[in-house]
Parts: sequence; structure tokens; C-alpha cells
Amino acid sequence: MTDVILSTLPFLLHGLWMTVRISLITIIFGSLIGAVVGMLRTLDHAVVTYPLGVYIHALRGTPFLIHLYVVFFMLPATGLSWLQLEAFPAAVVALSLYTSTYVAEIFRAAIQAVPRGQSEAARSTGMTALQSMWYVILPQAVKLMIPPMGGVYVIIIKGTSIVSVIGIAELVRAGEHATQRHPRELMVIYGMTALLYFAYCYPVLRLARWAETKFGSVRLPS
Amino acid sequence: MKKISKLFGLSLCALGLGVFAQSASADVLQDIVKRGELRVAVQTQGPPVSFVDKNGERTGFAIEVVKMMADDMGVELMLLDFDWKGLIPAVNSGKADFLAADMTPNAKRTLVLSFTEPYLYSDVVLYSKKTQPFVMWQDACKEGVSIGVVQGSSNVGLLQALCPDSTIKEYAGGGAAVAQAVSADRVDAGINDFASAAGYMVEYTEFGILDGAPKRWPLSFATRPDEHHLLRWMDNYFMLIRNDGRLEELADYWMRGPVWKNDH
Amino acid sequence: MDWILDFYNYRVVGQYLPEFARGLGSTAWISLVSLVMSLSVGTVAAMMRMSANPIVWRIAAGYVQAIRSTPLLIQIYLFYFTLPALPLLGRRLDELEGGIIALGLNAGAYMSEIIRAGIESISRRQIEGAQSVGMTYLQRMRHVVLPQAFARVAPPLLGQTAVLIKESSLVSFIGVFELFGAGLVVLNERLMPNEAFLTVAACYLAIYAVMLSLTGYAQRRLGGTAA
Repeated sequence: MTDVILSTLPFLLHGLWMTVRISLITIIFGSLIGAVVGMLRTLDHAVVTYPLGVYIHALRGTPFLIHLYVVFFMLPATGLSWLQLEAFPAAVVALSLYTSTYVAEIFRAAIQAVPRGQSEAARSTGMTALQSMWYVILPQAVKLMIPPMGGVYVIIIKGTSIVSVIGIAELVRAGEHATQRHPRELMVIYGMTALLYFAYCYPVLRLARWAETKFGSVRLPS
Repeated sequence: MKKISKLFGLSLCALGLGVFAQSASADVLQDIVKRGELRVAVQTQGPPVSFVDKNGERTGFAIEVVKMMADDMGVELMLLDFDWKGLIPAVNSGKADFLAADMTPNAKRTLVLSFTEPYLYSDVVLYSKKTQPFVMWQDACKEGVSIGVVQGSSNVGLLQALCPDSTIKEYAGGGAAVAQAVSADRVDAGINDFASAAGYMVEYTEFGILDGAPKRWPLSFATRPDEHHLLRWMDNYFMLIRNDGRLEELADYWMRGPVWKNDH
Repeated sequence: MDWILDFYNYRVVGQYLPEFARGLGSTAWISLVSLVMSLSVGTVAAMMRMSANPIVWRIAAGYVQAIRSTPLLIQIYLFYFTLPALPLLGRRLDELEGGIIALGLNAGAYMSEIIRAGIESISRRQIEGAQSVGMTYLQRMRHVVLPQAFARVAPPLLGQTAVLIKESSLVSFIGVFELFGAGLVVLNERLMPNEAFLTVAACYLAIYAVMLSLTGYAQRRLGGTAA
């Protein structure tokens, strides 16, 4: 068993590195897109909020594998050159859009939880809508975003395993390859995979927890 | 209700993306020679057909055949590793020139892709723990006996036809997961091709292969239906390597026993 | 309608309607049972997490962090391959039971964090008010805190439910037939990915749409207006 652990560990670490890369890029892009979508959704403007609502619900309501299928296999069929994506960029695009739907909902909920009076007061001092958002609303809303954001990030980190369908050898895939060579050690290898995920996800959750306590408890005024 | 109808509207838009037709070149073989690269979609379904060995190298029977093919063509080989779910789309969308897997042609499948003449025939076998009272594979085809099979493989339909009385459990995790299920007493027997099963026998010494083979599957490569030249070329190629003995040599090494385990 | 056939052959999909119906039913059932389980487990874990007793909250915290830090597939495999016969049951959990319990426990960890945020958002004054009319801890939770907390966090709970519905497809790794498996039958027998994947997507979307409208209804019923 020890020799199986030692011989497969390098492959698993290699897979973990791919998981880390793809999830970090995705989390950054997904959060940026999600922040914009979430803020736009708080505008009470049907022309903006309605299509964005459809975007969010359509992506959340369907499996990520299908998004990947559309981005990697169906979009290139349009013949447009900028839609001909290689595996890695296609995975990043699909996963970022998926991430953005969750981030957007967290943003919207947090912004809407900040009492209306705050933004009205800011506007009455002569701030523009953007200024009041940046200086008054967001600093308060961020506190409400941190705990759910940690949860979403770990879901995304673990969700990256689906990109193996288009040939990206991340952690779960590396584990699968190892179990094919050592079928008897299937649970040992998957156990190692779980530990490596733990080594990545647990600090993320601790960080969210730390930030949560640092920025004060989440107590909405009522 | 409004929201629901909107959602379906959007899914229809997604469907609409497919209307744009794929622009295919006249002859992909010419493209392969021009670009100097053969692009092959493979599936890493496990040894001995296609897997990643202990050195991290992609190898196996199907992989070694395409390596030889690219060498003889005088072009570089690019292997695109797709999961089974991505294999067909990869060929349809033109990302790969053809797919090299241990895929069995049948009447419905050949409506969609063009399959080569079989490069090998592979026996299907059942295996179980030696403590089970089975001798022949037919012994497992009884009520109250459960048999594990890889989800989405041709063996699912085969099993349903052969052993309608047995309980059939399909596992999405591949052959290794089925072997694990047999080992953990979750199923009484497993079904797989002989070569994979022979590999499990080395790992699980408590397992035995049941006598007799219920089926012999033809294994083929496949390409888009309009690639006549490529299809002819591959058929020709199999004929050539069968003639000069190289195909037999590879098949002996990979498919007729676990000798490959020493090197990989 | 003929142009649709070029990229989506609904005639072929029609031949597989029994499979899709069976898969849809299976996925809906698995999701529903594990959703109810995850909300119950999540509520208990959230209340334990807020307990003053360090042993109690540490158990809850350990459960939540361990589950969230490891992949669901491995949790399902652990349940299925390594769990021996259960003493009270007198046998091992079968595929469906094990799969549903693993799913429920997994989602419960995420749900508990969302529910905890909801409970923490209820103002102290309401709790004090409930205390002053003589309500016990459980009565306060049942009648005052939890209904409002659930109404407030209904949107993130819906988001987590969407994850649960889609991740329920992982039970196919231990031999349970569900919606994705139905799509794979079409892919495998007909080699038609559009027909397989887009139909599966539409079915998942239908389940999600039902959940979406149910959430809106529940939110109104639980009195989100009291916030």
C-alpha cells in the first residue's frame, strides 16, 4: 500500500496543481463577472434585471457539463473564429460563467440587505449612484458576502473535476488514472484525492471564517 | 409560470446554436498531411486498451496502434484525451480526425459515424470471487445474482439480453469501480472484456474468470460519415499491419494476458 | 419543424421517452428526499454550531468543515464500499439509501451554514420578546426564529438546492439509474450527443423551475415581510 501511495502521489500532485490553476483563474473571473451582474440586478429596471435573471437561472438550473459541451463543442460550429476555443480557455470561460451566477446572487442579496436609508442618505449628500455604491453600500455588504462566498468557492473548486471530460487532467482525473493501474487500491487513491482536496479547501474555508470574525458578525438590522 | 416559460425560451435559443452547419474540408487526409499532425480522440478507459502507465506515459493497445499509424504516415501524433461523454462530440465537431477506442459498431451507431473494419475481436467474460459457486458464466445468470457492468458500455445491453433474471448494476466509475464492487460484495460477479478482466485477476488474487465467453465484440476506430478516404485508408492500414504481423504482435502483448504489467 | 431535426432529432428522443421519464422521476425523487434530509440536518447542525457548549459546537463545526472540504463522490464511495452492515438495520445500506444519505449529509453541511446566517440575522429583540412571553428554546426556534430565518435565506437555499439536484447524478457511480444515465443511454446507443445532453439539460431545468416557483411560494408563506 505504501508503494502505491508513493508511486501515485506525484501524479495526484500534478493533478492538484491543475485544479488549483483552473479554479483560481475561474474564481477571479467568475467573481468579477458575478459582482457586475449582481450589482446590475439590484437596479430596479426590468430591461436589465429580467435578462440577467434568465441568465442566472438558466445556468444554475442546468448541469455544468452541458455548459462545457456548448462552449467547447457547439460554439465552434458557428464558424466564428473567436469562438474556437482550446480546452483550457473553454473550461475557464464555461466555469467562470457558472461561478458568476452564484456570486451574483450573493452580491445581490448582500446589497439588498443594506437598509435603503443608507443609499438615500448618501445620495442626499450629493454622491452619484456609483459613489454611494462604492463608498457606502459595498463596504457594509462585503461583510454579508464573506461567509456564503467561502462555501461557493469550495463548490467551484470541487466542481472543476468535470473539465476532465474535455481532456484536462485535474485531480480527480489523475486519481482515476491511478485507480486504473491499481484497481485494488481504489479507496486508498480516492482517499488521497480527498485529503488533497481537503488541503486546498480547508484553508479557503478557514480564511472565510477568519474574515467573517474580523469584519464583525453578520447581523442584519430589522 | 412566466419565469418557467422564459427559461424554456432560453434553452431553445441554446438549441438554436446548432443550426450553423459545420464547415468540413473535402478530404481530411490531405489536411493531416498538410498540417503534419494526426489528431486522434482517445478515451482513457483503462488498461490494456488505453491508459496512463507508471511513468506517466499514455499507452495501451489502441494507443500503440495509432502511434504506429502516425509514424507510417510520417506525421506527428496529437492525442486528445476525452472522456467517453466527449468522444463523439470531438469527432463530430472536427476537433479530432477520428476516434481510437475499443468501440463496437452496430446498426444504430453506424448511422452516425463510419466505422473501420474491426482491427481486433475481443471476448467478453464474467468474473467473480472464487468463493462463489459459479463455474460457467451461465451460472451467474440466475435470479438473485447481481452482476456489475460499466455504465454506458455495450455490455449493458448484452447482459440484459443474456441474463434477464440477474440483477444488473451499472457503475459510472469504469471497470475498476466494478471490480471494487465485486471485491466489496456489492455484486456477485462483474462483466468486462477478457483483457481488462485478466488485469484484475493479477490485482485481486481472490477473483477468478468464469468459463466460457458469452460474446465476441468487434473493435473498430470511427470517423465522420463523409470521410471516405480516411476510412478506406484506415481499413487498408489494418490490412497491411495484419499482413506483416505487427498487429498480431501488439495484440499478443496487450490483449492476450497481463504480460504488459511488467513494463507498464 | 424539419430544420430542428438537423441538430436535434426529437424523433429519436421520443423513442427514449420511457428512459428519460424514469431518469427524471428518479432524479426528482432522490433530490426531494435528500433535500428534506439536508434541511433537517442543516437546521440541527446550525443550532448546534451556535451552542455555547464547546463539545456541541465543535462536533457541528467538524462535520460542516470536513464535508465541505472533500468531494461528494468520495463521500458516496465511502458510504457504499466501506460501510458494514448497520446494527439496527441488520444489513448494509443499498445503493439508493446510501446514495440519498450521502447526498443529504453533504448538502446538509452547506445548508447549515446558510441557515446559521439566517438565524444570526434575526434581531435579539424578537428573541427577547419571545422569551418574555415564556416560550422555551425550542418554541422560540420553531415559532419565531426559524420561519423568518428560512424566509430570509430562501434564495441561497435555492442556489444550494440547484447544486444538490445536479450533484445527485453522482449516485450513478454506485449503480443508481438517474437522469444523466438516461442521457448516456441515448449517447451510447445512438451516438447522438445533442439529443442526449440537451434533453438532460431541459429536464434538469424543469426540476429547477419547479423549485424556483416553490421557493417563491414558501418565502411568501413563511412571512418574509416580517423582516
